[in-house]
Amino acid sequence: MIEYSKATLEEYGYKDRRFLKKVYRISTKVLVVAVIFLMYLPVLTIALQSFNSSSELSSFGSFTFKWYGQIFRHPMLASAIQNTAIVSLTSTILATVLGTFIAMGIYYLFPKAKQQILLLNNIPILNADIVTGISLMLVFSLLLPVFPYIFGLPTLILAHLFFTLPYVILSVLPKLGEVDPNLMDAAADLGLKPIKSLVKVMVPAVKAGIFSGMLLAFTMSVDDFVVSYYTTGNGYDNLSIWIYGSIGRKSLTPSVYAFSTLLTLGTALVLLAVNLLSKRKVRNK
Amino acid sequence: MNKTIRKLAYPYYGWLYLLAIVPIAIMLVLVFFDIEGIGFSEARYTFRNFALFLEPSTLEAFGNSFLFATTATLVSAVLGYIVAYQVFRSRFRNKFIILTLFILPMWSNMLLRTEALGNIMERHNIFTDLLGIPGGFNLRGTGLAVLIGLVITYLPFMILPIYTALEKIDPSLEEAALDLGVTEMRKFWKVVFPLSIKGVITGCIMVFLPCLSGFAIPEILGNGNIMLIGNIIEQSFRNMSYNLGSLLAITILFFIFGSLMIVNKVDKEGGTLI
Repeated sequence: MIEYSKATLEEYGYKDRRFLKKVYRISTKVLVVAVIFLMYLPVLTIALQSFNSSSELSSFGSFTFKWYGQIFRHPMLASAIQNTAIVSLTSTILATVLGTFIAMGIYYLFPKAKQQILLLNNIPILNADIVTGISLMLVFSLLLPVFPYIFGLPTLILAHLFFTLPYVILSVLPKLGEVDPNLMDAAADLGLKPIKSLVKVMVPAVKAGIFSGMLLAFTMSVDDFVVSYYTTGNGYDNLSIWIYGSIGRKSLTPSVYAFSTLLTLGTALVLLAVNLLSKRKVRNK
Repeated sequence: MNKTIRKLAYPYYGWLYLLAIVPIAIMLVLVFFDIEGIGFSEARYTFRNFALFLEPSTLEAFGNSFLFATTATLVSAVLGYIVAYQVFRSRFRNKFIILTLFILPMWSNMLLRTEALGNIMERHNIFTDLLGIPGGFNLRGTGLAVLIGLVITYLPFMILPIYTALEKIDPSLEEAALDLGVTEMRKFWKVVFPLSIKGVITGCIMVFLPCLSGFAIPEILGNGNIMLIGNIIEQSFRNMSYNLGSLLAITILFFIFGSLMIVNKVDKEGGTLI
């Protein structure tokens, strides 16, 4: 019997890449973890700094909670936090309500008009913050002869509304496309006026989009610095403007770090809770 | 009925024209005048403002801005794609948690995060003190520090659009590709990547533009050593020289309108912008 040599897999053109695949899998995992770690490094530093008894930035004294107690005792910080809360909450609520109805209006526009308004709607999102800030400042200063005290809270809310509205609209719009068009017809057949049927039928149907738009709008509003910097006035500082000034003066109190840590933790908990609740709802159905 | 609902969008036209288009017209006018602030009483018609483009400091700022913005965009595109792809491929399907993971750092103030990053870039910082290691070198004040700051700050704006684009790919396309006998590698380059390019383009624009025009990050991490266009615009407006500031802002606007056209072309509904 003749012994033929068996063809190996390699001779059929099979290349053994198991080792390479393993290297690829491990290295990408390491990279992802490293990137996420880097993204959270500033947040971790802020948290660490908030427990540091020494207000020196380069040395850790001992573990303390004292900065947390002083958050609202620092008059400038407390008023900056209050201003941020007022501006962001007001503009987010306005943007959510107005944005939802504007998005519905846009949805029913003719295709050409729709494309045009969506192009305009992208301007506040894509425009450089500094250009948006300066633009709004120029428009608001034209209003000065009519409303001499406009700079401060009113301009800040208008400015925040300007750059948060597009986010709400863009979150709601795709959800509107998923709604069964017969729903609106049914509402009309049952005798509802158009606006009322929007509130009763469409709003509940696109709830998820409205919620994510609201979340985005609030995040953008709280984190904004540049636009606020140009559109505020009369020493009406929000948190960002106050922090920028304090960094310039090298007089940042560690209580800011404490506040920031609390806010991050609070947000994380709220978002987790929302997530768990929505999961439970799905399961109950 | 649609007619009534359509009317809801009309005021928004006015709002956008008033707050987005009118100011550009004002800036275009300001460019040709030589005035302090925006009082037009002593306005003189002039082309002198354009001499700004010949100043070495402006040219250097433009060069720096492009260098930093391009490098930061490329680095974040590569890192962002890898992260978005891995998250997309993982069995982890809860989009809400994924979004939260990348948005959560934004809940600490941007300036505060930058300042914290700057502090740990110093030779002696809180980590070297805690871990008891001697400080190595001082990164703060260098170009590398600014680059790292830009990448870390704007990376989420790259990851999220790419992830959204990846998620929209029909999984049966990938199965079809495998059925037709391509390798995993070719499947990625021929099917998955071309379909996700929309997200990459949006992400690049969302990172490039703020890097090009921002002024806080270079100022805090560069210790004032590194001047970008944003810093020069900020200085002009602080010195009440609205004309020069407007001129530079208009220059930036060219890039923004270019980006707007690109976004409008690749993504009509703006679905990857958020």
